[in-house]
Amino acid sequence: MIPKLCYFLKLLVFIILNNLILKLKLNIDGLLVYFPYDYIYPEQYSYMLELKRTLDAKGHGVLEMPSGTGKTISLLSLIVAYQKAYPLEVTKLVYCSRTVPEIEKVFNIIYIFITHCIINSYFKIAFQIHFSSVKYLSFLALRFGKEVDGKCHSLTASYIRAQHHSNPSQPVCQFYEEFDAVGRQVPIPPGIYNLDDLKDFGRRKGWCPYFLARYAILHANIVVYSYHYLLDPKIADLVSKELAKKSVVVFDEAHNIDNVCIDSMSVNITRRTLDRCQTNVETLQNTISRIKETDAAKLREEYSRLVEGLKEANVARETDMYLSNPVLPDEILQEAVPGSIRTAEHFVGFMKRFLEYLKARLRIHHVVQESAPQFLKDIYEKVCIDRKPLRFCAERLRSLLRTLEIADIADFSAITLISHFATLVSTYSKGFTIIIEPFEDRTPTIANPVLHFSCMDPSIAIKPVFGRFQSVIITSGTLSPLDIYPRILDFRPVTVASFTMTLARTCLCPLIVGRGNDQVAMTSKFETREDFAVIRNYGNLLLEMSAIVPDGIVAFFTSYIYMENIVASWYEQGILENIQRNKLIFIETQDAAETSMALEKYQEACENGRGAILLSVARGKVSEGIDFVHHYGRAVIMFGVPYVYTQSRILKARLEYLRDQFQIRENDFLTFDAMRHAAQCVGRAIRGKTDYGLMIFADKRYARADKRGKLPRWIQEHLTDGSLNLTIDETVQLGKHFLRQMAQPFRQEDQLGLSLLTLEQLQSEDMLQKIAQIAQQA
Amino acid sequence: MISVGSGQKISPDGKAKIQLQLLLHTGESTTFHFANGSTALKDRDATKELLQQLLPKFKKKANKELEEKNRMLQEDPVLFQLYKDLVVSQVISAEEFWANRLSLNTVEHSLSNNNKQEVGISAAFLADIRPQTDGCNGLRYNLTSDIIESIFRTYPTVKQKYAENIPHNMTEKEFWTRFFQSHYFHRDRISTGQQDIFSECAKQDEKGLKSMVTQGVKNPMVDLLSLEDKSLDEGYGTATVPTTSNSSNKSLRENSNSAIIKRFNHHSAMVLAAGLRSHIIISMCVIYREAPSDQASETSSTDGNSRDSDFFQPPLKKVKLQESIEYDDLQGDSGRQTIALNLKKSDRYSHGPIPLQSQHYTTSQDIINSISIIQHEMRNYKPRLTQVMSSNAASSAITALSPGGLLMQGGGQQTINQLVPTDVQSELKHLYTAAGELLRHFWSCFPVNTPFLEEKVVKMKSNLERFQVTKLRPFQEKIQQQYLSTNLTGHLEEMLQAAYSKFQVWQTRRMMRKT
Repeated sequence: MIPKLCYFLKLLVFIILNNLILKLKLNIDGLLVYFPYDYIYPEQYSYMLELKRTLDAKGHGVLEMPSGTGKTISLLSLIVAYQKAYPLEVTKLVYCSRTVPEIEKVFNIIYIFITHCIINSYFKIAFQIHFSSVKYLSFLALRFGKEVDGKCHSLTASYIRAQHHSNPSQPVCQFYEEFDAVGRQVPIPPGIYNLDDLKDFGRRKGWCPYFLARYAILHANIVVYSYHYLLDPKIADLVSKELAKKSVVVFDEAHNIDNVCIDSMSVNITRRTLDRCQTNVETLQNTISRIKETDAAKLREEYSRLVEGLKEANVARETDMYLSNPVLPDEILQEAVPGSIRTAEHFVGFMKRFLEYLKARLRIHHVVQESAPQFLKDIYEKVCIDRKPLRFCAERLRSLLRTLEIADIADFSAITLISHFATLVSTYSKGFTIIIEPFEDRTPTIANPVLHFSCMDPSIAIKPVFGRFQSVIITSGTLSPLDIYPRILDFRPVTVASFTMTLARTCLCPLIVGRGNDQVAMTSKFETREDFAVIRNYGNLLLEMSAIVPDGIVAFFTSYIYMENIVASWYEQGILENIQRNKLIFIETQDAAETSMALEKYQEACENGRGAILLSVARGKVSEGIDFVHHYGRAVIMFGVPYVYTQSRILKARLEYLRDQFQIRENDFLTFDAMRHAAQCVGRAIRGKTDYGLMIFADKRYARADKRGKLPRWIQEHLTDGSLNLTIDETVQLGKHFLRQMAQPFRQEDQLGLSLLTLEQLQSEDMLQKIAQIAQQA
Repeated sequence: MISVGSGQKISPDGKAKIQLQLLLHTGESTTFHFANGSTALKDRDATKELLQQLLPKFKKKANKELEEKNRMLQEDPVLFQLYKDLVVSQVISAEEFWANRLSLNTVEHSLSNNNKQEVGISAAFLADIRPQTDGCNGLRYNLTSDIIESIFRTYPTVKQKYAENIPHNMTEKEFWTRFFQSHYFHRDRISTGQQDIFSECAKQDEKGLKSMVTQGVKNPMVDLLSLEDKSLDEGYGTATVPTTSNSSNKSLRENSNSAIIKRFNHHSAMVLAAGLRSHIIISMCVIYREAPSDQASETSSTDGNSRDSDFFQPPLKKVKLQESIEYDDLQGDSGRQTIALNLKKSDRYSHGPIPLQSQHYTTSQDIINSISIIQHEMRNYKPRLTQVMSSNAASSAITALSPGGLLMQGGGQQTINQLVPTDVQSELKHLYTAAGELLRHFWSCFPVNTPFLEEKVVKMKSNLERFQVTKLRPFQEKIQQQYLSTNLTGHLEEMLQAAYSKFQVWQTRRMMRKT
């Protein structure tokens, strides 16, 4: 019995040792940081140093570090440590990521991180921090369908609840009532909650998880959600309005942040929207006349409230630091709603007029492009609508819907959209453009008029974020060239740095294939992309690669139509058949569900050793959100340079704007945009230091300095002069050699001291010097 | 049994005696004489035909058995040694040796037969049907049975059509001609006529693809539908409004292009599925089994029962998430990933192993008695403090008794491999395996409930005795000559004795029953 006990004690000691000594305690520039792993990558250390500097300076930062080097965990460790050390300086971490899996990953990392630290504090040796006394909350998207929204609204709207007081038979949402009664007083027990946990918690307490989540955001120490909750003014107003100024905001995977900003401010109006809006207006009119007969006092009350001005709202907003809403700019609040739209009927009439005007505008046969002031001038001349009432449209509509006690607001999305458009177009004279297209470019015979109200300046949407929070960190694996983001987002960062990946073996092998074996140049340039020889050479490249690369190959095309054409001609030429001898072929389609299926089958085929090829599209869903780790992607082939479709009028307008406002030349921006997507695509295959993969750029234009120079540093580094303009044969030779080398066993010891450090190694003098070189300031 | 027949001879037609001679494996031959006059010749021919069909099969089987035995002996040196010890030295006969073995093995064998890896399908099997121009404005397709098999396995609908139409509606050739003419084969051609028998196949495939799509993906990490946290309402954003995808919008060419793409996805999925049929069946079973539980959860959620939040996250998702955030190189040595200790009897773990004692059944009365005795003793217990050891002495005694302590060195016991020369050791090993094998045969006869087993147990007993005499004794003598302790074979003897005594018991009991 005694030996058993000894053994048990040993086990216990082992556990304690594991959690106390093996985990790293780092000294980052005088800050004690707990790192939940036994080893650390040098670049992580360097990243944390830069991050700390940014936080110290209370400024913004742009940091580029390759994916798979533990960006997220570095970010979390440092910011949480900072939060602990200076609780008054940094109160909250708001972590924004783009896709749902990405958010869930972050959440799980937090989980690992916190659990490790809790174990530590439990044993109370040398640990002062009690992480368990802090609340951690991860907040995922509240994905309710429209119907649920409407249903929810019909049970929780303030007037319904008021009615419930006088008439208990009126149904209300029990969950919300319960929450409203006690939920705000009772603190949520500390812990990590994702949406499911919150739902579960809400169910146990009988509280509405939605309102619980919105409330909890204000009190959590860490919030993880998607971009829209901060960038989209319509949502941010509800969700993120009361976030404290002393928060650190992190935008991860931020290489597309400008597009998110633009998306959140742009509006498209089709004929269908207008038709639906028409019915909405009619419903409103009917409701108003009905209410007028029964309850005229209500409308009068609203009128007088509007005369008073939106004073209450104004007071609430003056407590500073609420995210200002671009749809509802601050200046609006100083004034009362103009008289012309103050009564309900007048407003409905006003909307009708506006609607008719838009209908007339959509009835054109040629493309029209105009600025917001031009539009306003035109609307004034044609239907005598002033700028001022337009600006109040959104707010006035909301007030009206509230007064009319229309429960199911989901139906009114069309008229809401129109009112938002009205407010936007009259508020911003710069940075937006209006394009009316009578038909799609590809189908000039079919009338399908669309009014694009397009934002061209991403800085408009993100400005309040930069203005409000003391530190905003923009980070991603591919942000090169680093200087362009501060320019297009219009902010002044205190740190701009790019980190390389330290490698014990060169596990990535970028190759630029410029020619086929017949010496015909390979390029997706518009003039030659349909060239028979180019298509055949592309096919041969894929065929040759399919013979030498094990498991999975992912190939990206520049656009969906281009891929369709190439696949068709490969089919005719019999190239696909030959490829099928080596691997199965799966192809991305425009249907997301179908593509998901293909993707899963692709992974299955890689998994069981059969091997497969996935043909996909740059800028598509796959290239943006799916990782091809290890055998899921041993080679990525980028067919052509993924330029955006340059004939699009919206893009042209945006390029013009960029040139005029930010002095960014069209070509520079287009190349930048193409290269960031190319880098995204090829970067999908390398997801860590133990991973390896070929990166094949199949276009001779990649060899040019202006393209090559825009690739992220961690790819550029490995692009030697010898691999700039290869033929297919040479590529195959190099690829074979590389793959053979990489297939050798790779152990942790091989990395140790080079790309993987223990604490002792980290503290050595020359290592610190080396680390200083990892970060490259732009 | 003719099963060992390796050939047959018949008498020439002109002869009066109508005979059939069978050559057996063993070299003997048997001659059958067909005697019933008129039909004799016919009978003989019929028999010959039948035998001709059957013989290769049996031959294969016999050969297979031999091969199997050979293979087993070659692969397993221990078995080979055993075979030499027992069969070659004629302790037991070959049949006896194999009887037990093979029966064990056939189970395995049949299992492995079931799990036999099926040959997968080449993704390019359609490409292998190289059409060749036959010179007069036509095409020739070469079909092999392999390709047909591939087509059937990949496209079950074609197989169904084949079964429906062949042979009553058309010939096989016609069927395949139509197949190659159909748009089904050339997917880039748009279907035109309804008379094409394969248009239905295409529809079915479409349906299959659709159901595959609607089934959704199991791995949430690749689910593109839930990838984005879609919060932009319709009408917002710069993305072009999704065009209503009616086919009239698209040109014919685009349509055929997307048909090709669809076809490739479907084809690859079907090829993959054909290789994994069994897996699919399993996964379908799983789905089937999960379905009712889903329903149960639905009902429980309506009545507001609280559930574990883990219930919401399918485990696969958790695993995939975990995989995607792991940095195995940052983690310390993997030794920490310990295997969970699975204790069947935790009390045995905490008390340590107790030597198995012969079973004493205690009645509850006994237990109660003993408890009362202990209680009684405890009541009368008085520590004799004068004779207690000092704590120092006690702790030193404990250290001495701990493993590695003074008293736990195990005395002068030197291990057997230092004392005994290696050749003796190996011989002993052989003896052990041989004895083990025989004993296994012996013990497997119990309980003896059939006459066959009775016979066998007697035989095995004699086998054991023979073993003792021919193998064990000489070995004992040998080690005596080398002045080694005879202790070495003590255990073997004990095992044999145990068997003998069991046999004795059994025999006396049998005698008693008989008398």
